[in-house]
Amino acid sequence: MITQDIRPILSALLRNRTGAVLVALQVAIALAVLVNAVYVVKQRVDKIGRPTGMDIENIFMVTSAGFAADYDHAATTAADLSWLRSQPGVRAATLTSGLPLSGGGSQNTLYPTPEVKGEGTSMNYFDVDESGIDTLGVRLVAGRNFRADEILPEDPTYRKPVPGFIVTRTLAKALFGTEDAVGKVTYDGLGRPMTVIGVIDHMQGSWVDWDKIGQVGLLPRRAFGPRALYLVRTAPGQRDALIKSAEEHLSVSEPRRVLQYVRSLDYYRDRSYQADRNMAIFLVTVTALLGCVTALGIFALATFNVNLRTRQIGTRRAIGARKADIVRYFMVENWLVTTAGVLLGAALALGVGYSLSRAYQLPRLDLYYLVGGVVALWATGQVAAWQPSRRAAKISPSVATRTV
Amino acid sequence: MLAMRHISKVFRTDLIETHALRDFSLEVAEGDFVAVTGPSGSGKTTFLNVAGLLEGFDTGSYQLDGVDTSGLSDDARSRLRNEKIGFIFQSFNLIPDLDIFDNVDVPLRYRRMKAADRRERITSALDLVGLGSRAHHMPSQLSGGQQQRVAIARAIAGDPKFLLADEPTGNLDSLMARQVMDLLEQINEMGTTIVLVTHDPELARRAQRNVQIIDGQVSDYRPYEPHAPAAREPVPLAAGAGA
Repeated sequence: MITQDIRPILSALLRNRTGAVLVALQVAIALAVLVNAVYVVKQRVDKIGRPTGMDIENIFMVTSAGFAADYDHAATTAADLSWLRSQPGVRAATLTSGLPLSGGGSQNTLYPTPEVKGEGTSMNYFDVDESGIDTLGVRLVAGRNFRADEILPEDPTYRKPVPGFIVTRTLAKALFGTEDAVGKVTYDGLGRPMTVIGVIDHMQGSWVDWDKIGQVGLLPRRAFGPRALYLVRTAPGQRDALIKSAEEHLSVSEPRRVLQYVRSLDYYRDRSYQADRNMAIFLVTVTALLGCVTALGIFALATFNVNLRTRQIGTRRAIGARKADIVRYFMVENWLVTTAGVLLGAALALGVGYSLSRAYQLPRLDLYYLVGGVVALWATGQVAAWQPSRRAAKISPSVATRTV
Repeated sequence: MLAMRHISKVFRTDLIETHALRDFSLEVAEGDFVAVTGPSGSGKTTFLNVAGLLEGFDTGSYQLDGVDTSGLSDDARSRLRNEKIGFIFQSFNLIPDLDIFDNVDVPLRYRRMKAADRRERITSALDLVGLGSRAHHMPSQLSGGQQQRVAIARAIAGDPKFLLADEPTGNLDSLMARQVMDLLEQINEMGTTIVLVTHDPELARRAQRNVQIIDGQVSDYRPYEPHAPAAREPVPLAAGAGA
């Protein structure tokens, strides 16, 4: 029945096409923006939601800096760790050189031979002690953890070679492919051998925008002072209370150093993803506004058409149209305008998607998003046209006999 | 065909009540050609709207071709209008964005007829009004008389039993008016009942019966009188006539 309605409606539309063309263009632009914006938002959301590999909700960090000439870094960090580990609710604590997901960290390049030739493999590394794995909450899947006697003393010059280290699966794969990594040797930038003694399942490094964020290594070294960075893992639900008590204790326990920050690890994660989150919120807002403006455009066109055709609607009712026929007429008319818009918009969306993927190295637009956008705009069009269509159906057939 | 008994229709506002029809009774037999006349404000349009099922009424009864119209749903009234009544309006009320063929097609589409049947009826109706060759012209390309003939074609294409004409020549010059009246008489002679609402006594005289409405009531009922020969002299309905 509806297909039978299309030809005369289309014919009438083509004779009064200005408004319809403008609304169709609006729909086309809305579709192109909507589809690409939603696609970008989805990528940002996926990025923010990637697993970190760590027990991030239960980890906090403490930084302090010794400032006095007689500040004893080794003694202070030993005392601090001893105090932190003794607190009820603390599962593990370690001194470290960097903070995962914070935007700041250290990177080294590993090579397959001591000649240090070729591109090498990037590694974001963290100095930890034998409690590092427990503190981060990462899962050891092969090999073993560090022993306490393997932890290298403080060495700001990094002259001491690291005999054995622990890598993520991702780093192991980048270094050795699918081979078992435990026992394999790689070489640092100075050509010194480093042997993999353990593999952890997954851990994100420092830089959320780095495409090799999963290539992480844990090195058995005591981070040097006078700045100290501790990671502390607590039992679930204990973190915030322990942040408070750690801050109270450590700020007064050693007068020759200043306590800088005591913050949860997810604070840094959230801060690192702030730009992504803002972009997602901005795009969602723009898309929602564009959707509203498009819906208003469709609503306005439908309302204008109803007002313009009051007598025509009365005549149609007089010669036999039921209310449902009038509603259907305007819904089909609107659907035709929206369909013209979405067809043009689909081409536009693919073009914009292609340009974005080339300009910003983004993945190509997934066609499911295009289909979803088309369906969403069709639905928006029908919802926006519903009220004017219902109003048209309420026009009395007696309007046909009124002389204007 | 049409039997209105003791119909009343009141329009109410906050301040006043207007009795558009009061104790209005009228019967029209099948095949009649009745002219309804009356001064402005007498209730002619309200009668037309009630007779055409375009508006309801407050009290009384109205039977159209044996169907009691009181209490019918809106859809049922639409169906009855579509199947039993052909409307001819003073301002033609053609749909300006559709060509002549599609204009005549509108009521047939609402009847859910098959395309082939519709095409046959449209062609036949347009041929009857002398506009078969203009099927794909737009209304704006036709003269007023031709547009009214298209409206007549639209009214008769569905083969209704009853034509309701509202001042059908009100917007036409005298030559075109004669053509339209000749056409209506021709259609009446083919068996279609016609009720013509007009304020023009000259047109009314061409009907078989005259009914005058004053203050919402039938005040005068005149039986059929033969027309003067000059008034019935036919005017050719060539496709271009009146253009």
